[in-house]
Amino acid sequence: MVYPTSTITDMSSEPGRPVEGLFPEPTRRDLLRTSATAAATGMVVPAMVSAQQAQSSAPSSASMETLQGEVALELTVNGKSVALKVEPRTTLLDALRNRANPPLTGAKLVCDRGNCGACTMIVDDKLVYACLQLAVDMRGKRIRTVEGLSSVDGVSNAAQLSPLQQSFCEHDASMCGFCTSGFVMAITHCLEKKPNASLDDIKLACAGNACRCGTQPHIFEAALAMAKGGAK
Amino acid sequence: MTAFPGMTYPSGPQDNAPKQTKKKIKTTKVVNGIEQEVEIEVEDVAGPEWGPRAALKVLDKELIRVDAPVKVSGRAVYTHDVRVPGMAWARLLLAPQPATKITKLDFAACAKIPGYLGHVVIEAQETRWLGQPVAAVAAETSEAAEDALRAIAFEYEALPFVLDRESALKPDAPKVSRRGNQSKPQTRGDEGKAKAAIEAAPHKAAGTYSVPVVHHACLETHGAVVDWRGGDEATVYCSSQHTFGFAGDAAKTLGLKNSAVTGIVEHMGGGFGSKFGFGQEGDAAAKLSKLLQRPVHLMLTRKDEFLMGGNRSGSHLELAGGMDANGTLVGFTARAHKQGGIGDGSLSGLPYIYKCAEAWTEVSGVRTNMDSSRAMRAPGHPQASFATESLLDELAYAAGLDLVAVRKANLDDTVWHRQLDRVAKEIGWFEHPHRTQPGNAKAELCTGIGFAISRWGGGGGPSCEVEVAIERDGSVTSSVGSQDLGTGVRTYVAAIPAEEFGLPLSAVVARIGSTRLGNANGSGGSVTTASLAPAVKDAAYNARRAFAEVLAPLLGCTPSEVSFADGSVQAAAGGKRLTWKQACAALPEAGLRAKGVWAAHLQGNGIHGAQAAKVEVDTLTGRVRVLHMVCMQDVGLCLNRAATRSQINGGMVQALGYALLEERVVDTALGLQLNPCLEDYKLPHSLEIPKMTVILDDEDTRGVIGVSEAPIVPGGAAIANAIHNACGARIRSLPCTPDKVLMALGKVS
Repeated sequence: MVYPTSTITDMSSEPGRPVEGLFPEPTRRDLLRTSATAAATGMVVPAMVSAQQAQSSAPSSASMETLQGEVALELTVNGKSVALKVEPRTTLLDALRNRANPPLTGAKLVCDRGNCGACTMIVDDKLVYACLQLAVDMRGKRIRTVEGLSSVDGVSNAAQLSPLQQSFCEHDASMCGFCTSGFVMAITHCLEKKPNASLDDIKLACAGNACRCGTQPHIFEAALAMAKGGAK
Repeated sequence: MTAFPGMTYPSGPQDNAPKQTKKKIKTTKVVNGIEQEVEIEVEDVAGPEWGPRAALKVLDKELIRVDAPVKVSGRAVYTHDVRVPGMAWARLLLAPQPATKITKLDFAACAKIPGYLGHVVIEAQETRWLGQPVAAVAAETSEAAEDALRAIAFEYEALPFVLDRESALKPDAPKVSRRGNQSKPQTRGDEGKAKAAIEAAPHKAAGTYSVPVVHHACLETHGAVVDWRGGDEATVYCSSQHTFGFAGDAAKTLGLKNSAVTGIVEHMGGGFGSKFGFGQEGDAAAKLSKLLQRPVHLMLTRKDEFLMGGNRSGSHLELAGGMDANGTLVGFTARAHKQGGIGDGSLSGLPYIYKCAEAWTEVSGVRTNMDSSRAMRAPGHPQASFATESLLDELAYAAGLDLVAVRKANLDDTVWHRQLDRVAKEIGWFEHPHRTQPGNAKAELCTGIGFAISRWGGGGGPSCEVEVAIERDGSVTSSVGSQDLGTGVRTYVAAIPAEEFGLPLSAVVARIGSTRLGNANGSGGSVTTASLAPAVKDAAYNARRAFAEVLAPLLGCTPSEVSFADGSVQAAAGGKRLTWKQACAALPEAGLRAKGVWAAHLQGNGIHGAQAAKVEVDTLTGRVRVLHMVCMQDVGLCLNRAATRSQINGGMVQALGYALLEERVVDTALGLQLNPCLEDYKLPHSLEIPKMTVILDDEDTRGVIGVSEAPIVPGGAAIANAIHNACGARIRSLPCTPDKVLMALGKVS
């Protein structure tokens, strides 16, 4: 489990217990560490398949295999199948932003190393930083991005926002907006796990998300308005 | 005057408008974010008026931003997100040392990278700052561009360099610039008289204060997408604070006419003063696009951003002051060095805001082999504020006086008096035990309160051209090329016409962020709102008057009797009434368009702010936790209270950042920046955010004024002063990290 660095020193006077599964799961860095002995040309994937098998969606065996060159993938994103070609090293973030057609650019590339939360997604009900996930590891998983939280009305072209997204609008919880997708995903996940989240829960849930404009006070208000029974 | 619907109405005086006269007003002129107060002559037209605040239906209210839905749903397209067919991905090669003589720059191996497309050389001879761009490469994918970067055979001879102030001032220091390592000192006041005044004062204090270089750290890095495919025209997307600025630069590099290049800034992810020009990154993207005859996407990586994407200059300030028994600052001296890398940095006048009969200052810039500082939210003000407010507290304690009373004693402008009193009340000052003497560190957790004030211009000038269009189907569009940095520009561009026409905000569409729309100035130095909002108002006013001309015959009244309210138009005094849609149906096919330009009387200049911070210091660990920050700010007419509060919160959060966390750390021997990433360059995150209170000073009855800069100024000084107030730890060097707290308490050496 990876905790954002600031959580350790800055727990408030009433330290809330981290919600289970709230924090991003195994990281690209962990992966790179475990595969340090791999051939320099490829990337070793834990849930391993051969390059041919990579075409199918179900990872099969625990045997180690090296992927090389272009890999065709089918990912399940927001309930839909997305076919794309990646390199073994391509992150989930780059795959969806740069290689999917149409591109999914709601998640942002800001730090590229898990420091900022701008690329936060939900994968199999766990919060992940998409810049730390390899796209080839994502087969067979349910990937949720910020685009999946709302729908666009085909007639009026108006966005049908999720209640949390609507609350963000009403509480002016976005300034430049570059961090907003990440905060929305982190807090969506928090409220799904703990509908009665407190202010401390919410702060902890987005402790890994950076906002340079300083929108946090309004983000907390927007989130608390959605939390059932949370301190208001 | 006769109405000509469908025609473009000129702005300015119309039939019943009073006779024009010229008048001189003071306003703020900003060059690359550096504020200067100038006097300009304007036409004195009593045309549009904001009207009484109480009568406003849209403005001065809590508005939902018109672009909030696309931002919260991930559908807002920033420059980073632009994807055009055939787009190549580019990366920059930066100098890895502060000063180099380039001996080899060979791209032969790049050709072996699958997907490699080409390169341009930016600097082939010498580099003289850490991170200076050397070359750019482009490839079919971002991964291949990274590989190509690594395939460049780049060899250099490291030249001597200096990265810190002390080394740069040594007589035998390597020369950073042909101009030398220090700019000519600028002095003000009489040194002898100032020193004598301090000497004669009953209470004295002196100290050396330092503020490090910090970064803008915009979440969207600098960069551009240049979409040119070899034709006569190009479209350039840029993460920029000045839509009309970079497009011209791009045209020059592409060899096209200015009018052939469309600049687009639909949404942008933060600028804070660092994103004015096209930059070397934009220029490289344009050169690559020209070379490849295809679109090129070049955005800085996070590390690039730290090295070349902008920083606020550091300061080293040696201050001394004297105070009389009443708390009056009677003498003040300051010798200051600005540290702006190869640039000269910025520093506001000293003492900051407070008056002093005998003040002497000497300020010079000290150059190092780092990237030039750029304007950053209130350039030079936070540094001057931190040093001045710290010294003032030291003098107040020496004199045994109340910290708020001392501030008021040195301020003639009573706006600051009421603001200081109010923030003091909100933070709990009058119940606080340490009002004239700091607390001590006997307890494990100590609580303290600190204060500081700010000022800024915030006035505008004539630069924006706005068009408001009313169509036959009832739709209304308000258009200007200006950009929204997250400040809420797009929303008030729509809200002002909505107010004028008696419509809800949702009835007006704002179009901004393109050079195809009317001209607009760059957003820096808090000049946007006071420049743009009056022009939007003028356009809406002209449109309303023209529309009234059309409607008067239908309503059986004179144009001046037509009233617009609650989604309908009506002849005065219970006369005939039409819904907005019915009224618009009377327009010809081409609808109605009106232009607007700046009107001086709709804006103001010169704002005040006061902040208070309450902190808790852990005297065992040295950790500081900010508990509460309060800001009171005058803002003139507030266009959107929610967005204004957001921006003031943001200033306080950023102040908390530079007060406690932020600092560019360099290895002066090896010539490296040690924290060019968001892991080691720490921004305030959710767990550091205290309770925050924003009080808008509604006694301010002026027109619109820019609010961005002022709120970032006082917070740092207020926090540092609060730490001292809590436990007696006077920290004269930002950021106030735990080690410095413990050192100041004498617990570590």
